[in-house]
Parts: sequence; C-alpha cells; structure tokens
Amino acid sequence: MINFEEELKKFHPSLEVEDAEEAIYNQDLTDMADLMVKIVKESKKTGE
Amino acid sequence: MNCYQCGCTLSQHDFCTNCGADVALYKRIIYISNRFYNDGLERAGVRDLTGAITSLRQSLKFNKNNVEARNLLGLVYFETGEVVAALSEWVISKNLRPKKNIADDYISMIQTNQNRLDAINQTIKKYNQALTYCNQDSLDLAVIQLKKVLSLNPKFIRAHQLLALLYINNEEWERAKRELTKCLEIDTNNTATLRYLKEVDEMLLPEEGVKNSSKKQKASNQVIKYQSGNETIIQPANMKESRGVTSLLNLGIGLAIGIAIAFFLILPARIQSARANIDEELRKVSEQSDAKTATIDELQQQLGELQAQKETLEQDMTAYMGTDDGNLQSVESLMKAASAYLTEPSDVTTVADYLDQIEQERSEEGEQENTEAFDSLYNNLLALVGPQLAESYDEEGHAAFWAANYEEAIPKLTKAYQYDPTNGQALYDLANSYYRMGDAQTAKGIYQQVIELFPNTEKADKSENFLAEIERAEE
Repeated sequence: MINFEEELKKFHPSLEVEDAEEAIYNQDLTDMADLMVKIVKESKKTGE
Repeated sequence: MNCYQCGCTLSQHDFCTNCGADVALYKRIIYISNRFYNDGLERAGVRDLTGAITSLRQSLKFNKNNVEARNLLGLVYFETGEVVAALSEWVISKNLRPKKNIADDYISMIQTNQNRLDAINQTIKKYNQALTYCNQDSLDLAVIQLKKVLSLNPKFIRAHQLLALLYINNEEWERAKRELTKCLEIDTNNTATLRYLKEVDEMLLPEEGVKNSSKKQKASNQVIKYQSGNETIIQPANMKESRGVTSLLNLGIGLAIGIAIAFFLILPARIQSARANIDEELRKVSEQSDAKTATIDELQQQLGELQAQKETLEQDMTAYMGTDDGNLQSVESLMKAASAYLTEPSDVTTVADYLDQIEQERSEEGEQENTEAFDSLYNNLLALVGPQLAESYDEEGHAAFWAANYEEAIPKLTKAYQYDPTNGQALYDLANSYYRMGDAQTAKGIYQQVIELFPNTEKADKSENFLAEIERAEE
C-alpha cells in the first residue's frame, strides 16, 4: 500500500530557469578521471 | 583520447608517448564512461529514460568531458520535462566544447523562442506551487494546478506522477491509471510509475491480481533479457493490458451509459413526439366536432323554422278547417238555414236559429274571412228573413219588456235591433231593460248609442236624461 505522505516526500521542487545559472556553478563536476589524476599526483609527491 | 598530463593524443600503448605518463587506468576510466554512454543511448532508444539517465550520469561520473553523454543526458531530461536540468547539461557541454557542439543548437532552440521559455518557466513555477499545495494539504488546488502544468508541458513526468499520486490518495483509480499510462508512454521503465501502477491495478482488479499471479509468473518467462555492460536488462515482451473482467466491466459501463442516454435523452424526445401527435389528433377531432356542432346548430335552426312554418300552417289550417265549431259548422249552419227556408219560408224561427248559430260561432271564433259565396248566401238569407225576424223579435221583446221580464226581453230586443238596425225603439228599450236590471254600465253604453244613432228624437232626449241620472248616481 502506498503511503501518500512518504511518497510526497520524494517529490522535490523543480529548478526554475532563474536558478539554472547558480545550479550550474554549484554542480560538482569532479569525475573519476580527476580523482585518478589527483591520486597519481599525490602518490608522486609522496614518492619524492 | 588525450593524455591527462600533457594533452597529447594517446596511442594504443598504456603510456603517453609524449610525456611517458601511465595512462592505463585513465584509458580504462574513459572506456567505462563510453560503455555507460552506449548503454544510456540504447536505453534512450527503447524509451527507458530512467535507465538512460542512470547510465548517462554514471558515464559522466567517470568522465565529465564526455560531451556526447552530457548532450544525450540533457536531451533525455528535456524529454521527461526537466527543462532546466536539460539546459544545465547543455550549457556545461557547451563550455566544455564551445565549437561543433550540438548542445549549442539545443540551447538556441529554447532561448530564441522567448514565449516557449516563459511557458517553461511558468510550468515549473506551477509545478512547484502544486507541490506546495500538497504539503499544505490543499490537494484539490494541487490537482487543478497540476492539470494546468500538464496542459502546458504534457511530457512532465514528475507532474504526471504527482497527479497520479493525488488521484491514488483520493481513490480515483481510473484517473490515476490514465496518468500513469501517459507516464509509461514517455518513460517505459520508471520505477515510481510502475510501483504506482501496480498499486492501481490491484485496487482496480483485486480478484484478477490473485488469479493472474500464476500467469504473471509464466509471463515473467516471456521477457526480453539482454546484457548491457555489467547489468542484465529485463524487459517485458508485451505491455498489453489485462482483459477479461475489464472488458466485461467496460461493457457493463457502456450498457449503463447507453441506457442512461436512452432514458434521459431519447425517451423524453419520444414522449414529446407522442404528445405532439396526440395534440394534433385532438385538434383534428376538435375541428370535426366544431364542424358537426355548427351543422347541428344549422339543422336545429332549420328545424325551428320548419316547426314555425308548420305551426303557421296548422294555424292556417285551423283557421280554414275550424277546431270545434269552426267555419265548417258555420257553413253547415248556413246550409241548414237555407234548406229550412227553402223547405218552409214561413218558418223563420228555424232559419233564425241557424242564423243565430252562425252569429254565435262568429262571435266565439272572431271575425273570420269567409268565402264570397258564403257571405252572399248569408246576406241574402238575412235580407229575406231579416224583416220578419226583426218584427218577431221586436214583438216578443217588447212583450217581455212590458211584462217587466227583462231577462227575456234583453236577448229578444238585441235580436230585434240586430236584424233591423233602424229599430231605435228596440235599442232604447234594450237600454232601459239593462238599466232596470241594475246593469247601469251596459245601459249607459246603449243610451249613448241611441243618442248617436238616433239624434233629435224623443228616445235620444230620454236617453240623455237617463245618462245624466246614471252619472249623478255614480257621483
């Protein structure tokens, strides 16, 4: 049986067009490649 | 693929030929990202948009610079009605690759049409407002708002789902199912949609849920399975809706609607038509009745006229025929008088009796028109027997008068004067007889006749004296 209140909590307000710019800037774009490069660089520093 | 350290194009080796950096892991990451992109593309191709979003986001987690994956993700977002999310992805994509990027076209498509952009913004605001209404327990307002949202953007899956949820909460299962079906047409494998739909189906057809449980297990074997990367995709072979009871239910509803239409629309029209026909018949009958009534009136009028004519004719007939002692009796009396005179001319008494009868009938029936022959015969008879009768009556009347027998004298003297109008003495003594009997009024009239008919005579003088005496007595 679906619980209306619980299901309602899963719905979030949609971003409006005015908020798009801020959302883009705040988006975390870090990917696995970035992490790998970071790890490689850190491992190199540790090795030196 | 370029080296993450120097940017040089990489070869098939696991190191960069320019800077010597180890790129084996980097290459693997890029491959995984590409594999997720391919998976997302396949899912998007079969309208599994939720799966496509998941795969494409995974692809971007591995490689944020996978512009194709980002563009496709934006496109999938746009298809699900998430326009701002789509724009965000396309803007980032454009920043990552400013030239020869299809995202540029997508952004231009939206931004160049200000009305469309406004409509999109309105849609989002209304959706957020509907969500606020839901949280404030104003569910009716939320439903209205969501309907507006979907009229502006029919592909907004979250709005469809929220509306379906509100319908489910309101136990409007059919409507909920309708919304969820629309969701499935846009996104075939949305988990929330499928969960809601399962709930709705169970509520709509609870008995079929049990019956079909075994069938569903069988049907589970009739699915399309394929491997996509590390995941196994299971997709139903067919998406047909359950039939049977649903068909019967729909048939029943259709019949009920049909009967209702017949009852509320067709039946009143039939009744109206029947009433109109009855009114028309009634009008015709009424017209016929009026015509017959007019005919009856006319006939009655004719009958009245004929009745009047009949009565007139009967009266005429009566006038001619006589009722008791009419003309025929008069004629008969006259004939008898004539016969008596011819038989015995000296027997004037018998003739006088017959003539008296004629006079009596005339006085009873009034003056009537007689034939010329009748009048001629009557007058001749009267001329023949009149003087003798007058003389006879005069003698008898005066004898009775002098004997003071006035009752006998009066008719005799009357006859004497009748048969001899020149006999003033008879008239004068007739007046005296009445006067002496005490009938002063009759006597008065006869005295006046004497004065008028026989002026300058002794009888007239005496009559004046008697008149004066009577008037004095009256005073």
